[in-house]
Amino acid sequence: MSATLSSYEAIVGSAVIRQLRQLGEKLAGTRIVHVNSTREGGGVAEILEWMTPLMTELGLKASWEVIHGSGRFFEITKSIHNGLQGYPVSISGKDWKIYEDVNARNFERLRPILEEADIVFIHDPQPAHLLRLCEHRKGKWIWRAHIDISHPHHPVWKSLRPVVEGYDASIFSMPEFARSLRHPQFLVPPSIDPLSEKNRDLESAEVEAVRAEFGLDPSRPLLVQISRFDRFKDPVGVVAAYRMVRKVAPVQLVLAGGAATDDPEGKEILDDVLEAAGNDPDIHVLLLPHDSHKTVNALQRLATIILQKSTREGFGLTVTEGMWKGKPVIGGDVGGIRLQVVNHHTGFLVNTPEGAAHRIRYLLHHRDSIDRMGTTAREFVRENFLLTRHIREYLTLMLVTLRPTQGNVIEV
Amino acid sequence: MTVFEVRDCALLTRMSGLPPAFNLRELRDRIALCGENVLFHHFCETTLRGTFDNPDYRNDFAVWSKQYLGDRVLAERLGILDPYAFPSLGDLRAATLEVIDERLSELTMIPWARPGDEFFFSEATTVVFSAGIRFTQPARLGAFIRKMTNGSVYFHFLEARRRPPLGKDDFTAWLMEDEEANRPYIQALASIDFYFHTLVHLRRELGRVLSEVKAAK
Repeated sequence: MSATLSSYEAIVGSAVIRQLRQLGEKLAGTRIVHVNSTREGGGVAEILEWMTPLMTELGLKASWEVIHGSGRFFEITKSIHNGLQGYPVSISGKDWKIYEDVNARNFERLRPILEEADIVFIHDPQPAHLLRLCEHRKGKWIWRAHIDISHPHHPVWKSLRPVVEGYDASIFSMPEFARSLRHPQFLVPPSIDPLSEKNRDLESAEVEAVRAEFGLDPSRPLLVQISRFDRFKDPVGVVAAYRMVRKVAPVQLVLAGGAATDDPEGKEILDDVLEAAGNDPDIHVLLLPHDSHKTVNALQRLATIILQKSTREGFGLTVTEGMWKGKPVIGGDVGGIRLQVVNHHTGFLVNTPEGAAHRIRYLLHHRDSIDRMGTTAREFVRENFLLTRHIREYLTLMLVTLRPTQGNVIEV
Repeated sequence: MTVFEVRDCALLTRMSGLPPAFNLRELRDRIALCGENVLFHHFCETTLRGTFDNPDYRNDFAVWSKQYLGDRVLAERLGILDPYAFPSLGDLRAATLEVIDERLSELTMIPWARPGDEFFFSEATTVVFSAGIRFTQPARLGAFIRKMTNGSVYFHFLEARRRPPLGKDDFTAWLMEDEEANRPYIQALASIDFYFHTLVHLRRELGRVLSEVKAAK
């Protein structure tokens, strides 16, 4: 059950909620549809889980649809996903045909709602082909890219670009992620829900129960990286950094992640991590069920330092979550992590396992910095990366899209 | 006094369509060509955008010069430019170009950013709407400001300076309807060095100076 808007007043203030209601009034009755490829696992599903009911509460007719596909379809879309992020993948003509056929089957099921919608948000490449099938669409279609497509593997982009360019606009999390396209490209960073099971305040007993469950030592520093087992999150690099620190400090490491239904590659990466971890009892590799939100929440609260040593990253919501728990983050100097982690203010950006090890040691030697950066990080998230800001920008985007103007100011 | 109707605004940022700048020369050329809306965004709308409030500099060009070109001299010179001190965005552009041209003449090599660190030119559309709040008594201005969103503070105290009467915030313009009676409030607002505040701090500061005047009355 999602929280209502008024539940957020205690966190962001009543003025912010009032602002959302006023914007919502201008869009009352607008039919919007979000489409993505999974209802469980991953940042996109988590965003849509709260966004849809809150938009409904604001007076919009919002719905969230998920496309269904075979295992092969998700292998192909994972390759497309990796290819868009620059990884050299091979996608045959037959694979693209499967991609289109699965989209076509889903379109037949979703046709009425897609044709009638005032605005359709298509999230990521998996359902992107739906646009071409919806010839009788009435509304505006917007492609929401949650990943960094600034340096895609060319053959993949060559195939997908004509599809994407058919949209009325696209949304990227940061300018660095965008490609030059023939339609407006809006910039909307994602956000977290501070009242979700993954981010709400926990009782001390709830946190301690998780510590006990995984046998974590309360007397020693704990490093935590929460993310899917994905090559771009560099979990093996995190183990390497841990080993360098372990020579001089008795740290413990938790690498915890879930398996998303649209990510068949996770098992392979998990095996690599387990091999790198060996039989070290202070490395805890946890493959968590998709609904382990409270466990993740507690692990982040138990952490001394949060790690997110990605080599490629979309926005990096696990960074935002860690910062919201009042922790400094040592993150890869890539993607949206750069927007959140500011050296010496909210954490450190690093490029190598050596860099991560160095900054971990720095923070362990400067314990006061851990508290100071953690406090700054939490306030930074409160102002910029909570769902209230995210909803405001989506409402603004809808107003701009539905009431086009030549100028840069729209009075509503 | 007429009724003061509180407005609110929300910003939607988009790519400007200009190619990114990889080095100082390209930055200079893009600034010379970009629309005024782009210039305004990188100088003024940074406070309303979801980014870390850089403690050193308030405009994106100065931050980029320091962080990605590694040119602290240029960053300092760009960082002190106060966009609200210029009569027009054209004058601000000329001053910015003057600073960059001067720096280019001092350098033997043009500073470059690493791939991935280039400067991206953005702009924004502002959606303005009623906040549903109205008041008539100047003595209550501070209390109402404390309850405003960042968007309202930005719209009435910063963005207002782009609208007639040019260079004046909405609160001051309203208080000047009875200039004699409201002079202490007007002077209090004028005492704030607003450009270097975040919106959160600015709201707090506006509330503080106005409540001090009210208490002294």
